Amino acid sequence: MARYFAIRIGRAMITIALVVTFAFVVLRLSGDPALIIMGPEAPPEVIAAFRKAWGLDDPLWMQYFDYFGAIAKGELGRSMRDGRPAIALVLERIPATLALTIPALLLKLAIGIPGGIFAALHRGSLIDRAVMIGAVAGFTVPSFVLGLVLVLIFAVQLGWLPSGGQETWRHAILPIVTLGIGGAAVLARFTRSAMLEVLGQPYIRTASAKGVSWRAVVLAHALPNAAIPTVTIIGFMVGTLIAGAVVVESVFSWPGVGRLLVVAVANRDLAVVQCILLLVAATMVTSNLIVDFLYGFLDPRLRNREAAGAH
Amino acid sequence: MTAPLLSVDRLVRTYRMRAGMFGRPREVCAVDGVTLKIDRGETLGLVGESGSGKSTTGRLVLGLENPDAGSVAFNGRRLPAMDTTEWRASRARMQMIFQDPLGALDRRLPIAAQVREPLDIHAVGDEALRTARVEELMRSVRLSDDVGQRYPHELSGGQRQRAVLARALATKPDFLVCDEPVSALDVSIQAQVVNLLIDLQAELDLTMLFISHDLRVVRQISQRVAVMYLGRVVELGSADDLFVSPQHPYTRALVSASPTPGARRGERIVLSGDPPNPAAKPAGCAFHPRCPSAFARCRTEAPALVEVAPDRSVACHLTGPESHATVALGAVA
Amino acid sequence: MADLSLQRSSVAKRAISWPRIPPAVAVAILWVVAMLAVAILAETIAPYSVTKMDLRNRLSAPGDAAHWLGTDELGRDVLSRLIFSIRISLLIAFGATAISAIVGTLLGFFAAHFRGLAEQAVLMLADFQASMPFLILALAVLAFFGSSLPLLIGLMGFYGWERYARIARGLAISATGQGYASAVRQLGAVPSRIYLRHILPNIASTLIISMTLVFPEVILLESGLSFLGLGVQPPMTSLGNMVGYGREYIGSAPWIMLTPAAVITLTTLAVSLIGDWLRDKLDPTLA
Repeated sequence: MARYFAIRIGRAMITIALVVTFAFVVLRLSGDPALIIMGPEAPPEVIAAFRKAWGLDDPLWMQYFDYFGAIAKGELGRSMRDGRPAIALVLERIPATLALTIPALLLKLAIGIPGGIFAALHRGSLIDRAVMIGAVAGFTVPSFVLGLVLVLIFAVQLGWLPSGGQETWRHAILPIVTLGIGGAAVLARFTRSAMLEVLGQPYIRTASAKGVSWRAVVLAHALPNAAIPTVTIIGFMVGTLIAGAVVVESVFSWPGVGRLLVVAVANRDLAVVQCILLLVAATMVTSNLIVDFLYGFLDPRLRNREAAGAH
Repeated sequence: MTAPLLSVDRLVRTYRMRAGMFGRPREVCAVDGVTLKIDRGETLGLVGESGSGKSTTGRLVLGLENPDAGSVAFNGRRLPAMDTTEWRASRARMQMIFQDPLGALDRRLPIAAQVREPLDIHAVGDEALRTARVEELMRSVRLSDDVGQRYPHELSGGQRQRAVLARALATKPDFLVCDEPVSALDVSIQAQVVNLLIDLQAELDLTMLFISHDLRVVRQISQRVAVMYLGRVVELGSADDLFVSPQHPYTRALVSASPTPGARRGERIVLSGDPPNPAAKPAGCAFHPRCPSAFARCRTEAPALVEVAPDRSVACHLTGPESHATVALGAVA
Repeated sequence: MADLSLQRSSVAKRAISWPRIPPAVAVAILWVVAMLAVAILAETIAPYSVTKMDLRNRLSAPGDAAHWLGTDELGRDVLSRLIFSIRISLLIAFGATAISAIVGTLLGFFAAHFRGLAEQAVLMLADFQASMPFLILALAVLAFFGSSLPLLIGLMGFYGWERYARIARGLAISATGQGYASAVRQLGAVPSRIYLRHILPNIASTLIISMTLVFPEVILLESGLSFLGLGVQPPMTSLGNMVGYGREYIGSAPWIMLTPAAVITLTTLAVSLIGDWLRDKLDPTLA
């Protein structure tokens, strides 16, 4: 068990290291960071001072380690637009994003999982087909299209809801629904196939042949086993709590982290981009670790691997 | 006396297995000091149960794995290292057929293309010659012409094995290793394939190493037989002799379990103890926990393979040069 | 059981028996073919160029003889822009899918062949790729490098490679372990022959199915980036681009946004349906 966790934690660290390396490589490859961050019109003395301050004349490997050190200390640069520390900018936007993604996640869970389970239990029925069509639609309709169509219907034509901005709680409805529907579709599809696979297993037939009521079979055997792969995908969704709303925030002009990222990319505000990248990596890695831990407890095969003996 | 075609000297092959990513590595000695010789045109049968190391020996002998110690000499020269150009060229001289012919064939290619492949790989002759040779091979393994256009899964087990055989013989190799080639076939088909092998050997002057756990088949096809147990050769001799009067207790048990028509019906020897596990080899003579005639020395000292009669070698303290005059039957001291 | 040869003649190689395509999939195939035709014949069938402005006819509604799908805020013909957008979007999607399939498969073979450290490195990269949301990585790269078309295709080419790599590695390892690949190696074949002549054809169907799953995702990704203004840049036009521009006129001229949106959705749907159907037919174990 300890071995299993040690491996997982090791992998998580490696992923973070890879992301940092990725950011470093991309930053260095894209041109002289001094020029990029200071701007092409900056006078040569400013550039030279910047290079000195950031150690850009040091050998590459030293810069690499310095980079790691800087990140560990939380020195992630300043935004080009207003000179404020990038990390402050990002952190202050997080609540806005979470205000969308958390309710959306709940919506996804509330619609997606029951929908998928129901479809699996009543395979071939009208409900099943409806769920499948809904799921496919949710997957193939891009989020920005869905959002805009909802805006067209509810804001433009019907005038019930506002189309953008963050003033009132009503402004949050359309973005949350947009996020929720797409995710619910994916979740429904996934849950359905996980359930179907479990229901097809011989032990389900055995349980029901023993005379156990179908309901009990589902609750005691099917659901827990189908839960295991479903946990992974939920974990992924939790991991994207910060990153998942990039497009939707832009559609609805919602001032969250996603919108900040898009604007930063457009303005080539590298410090902010870098900061968000690292934050997203940290979130994903953490949630994957939590999923792995949960797996370790939920899946008895993993729990008992040590006991079963290595061979 | 001409030099043997294949000469194997104190071959050792140990597998290092790790349990998971951080588990403690364990060493499993599959082949533990095997010395053999095969003369040109002869068939040596290699007998043993699973875990005896016979398949590994077959692979080592062909150079399909690198031994950890010891050497293999083919035609007087050491085998080249694996995956070198020389090694690939040497494949034209020595080949193998396997237990599972379906697994050895590419399911997407018709049989004729696969039989032809060694000719393409080794750039033998031209287009016309290769086509002619494929036809000739198919005939020699008694497969009808239309089989060439079919796919492996459309053939029966016996046909597949013959196709694999045709492919193996494409470059007219001198040496053929057969690793349990008939074990997966029905009994009547087994006989057909074994007879085919015997005929081909005579026709093509093939030298063979025939690996099997089935004594009757081995006896039919081999001139000499080696019996392996847990990585060592425990008895070696001519096929007829060995099966009629086995010397090693293990060989005796094997022979008694496999009734041969015409032989005297002896008493069935049933072995006790656990089946051989290469990961947990007993000290001293590897067979001693199951041996009905084991005594004190067997637990501490592994017997060497010594010649006890012309063309008969046994690795047992009972028959060795300092054998005890009397043995306590059935008692493990 | 006597040694009978099977009487049935070869059926295995016939992959798809045509009469049995479900209607939805047939429509999907027709749609994809139509989109391909549009993309290839763009110059011949587009009535106008994408930049030609008809300032007297700005924001005109669809149904006009001169502009079947109406015009946008600069008087540009929506239909023509749509046609060329289809070409660009499909070009990027095909290019990216091909690149990631080739790169992924090669890396998978590389990992399978050399094992050890090389394999661990490839697996680690694959894990990394799978664990980070690609959109974020793509945005980071675009921030640093800008958005030229070759860069965009190259960037999208990184999408999904890890899926092919895992498949190729897994199947190559099982083939070389006990199967036909090790038998051919034993015949004396060089590794390139083994991989290209034997392993690749045997895993091709699985790889193709993966490609049909990745392709729509690339379209969605590219449209998303273009919608945000960070993908395809003017004067080139892509489907996502058009939706982005059309957004401002959602009230007054919704067709500018709706037509490309519909094309994105329908094309993604069509390829997904085909992919699902192919998977059911050829390799049910992929579900």
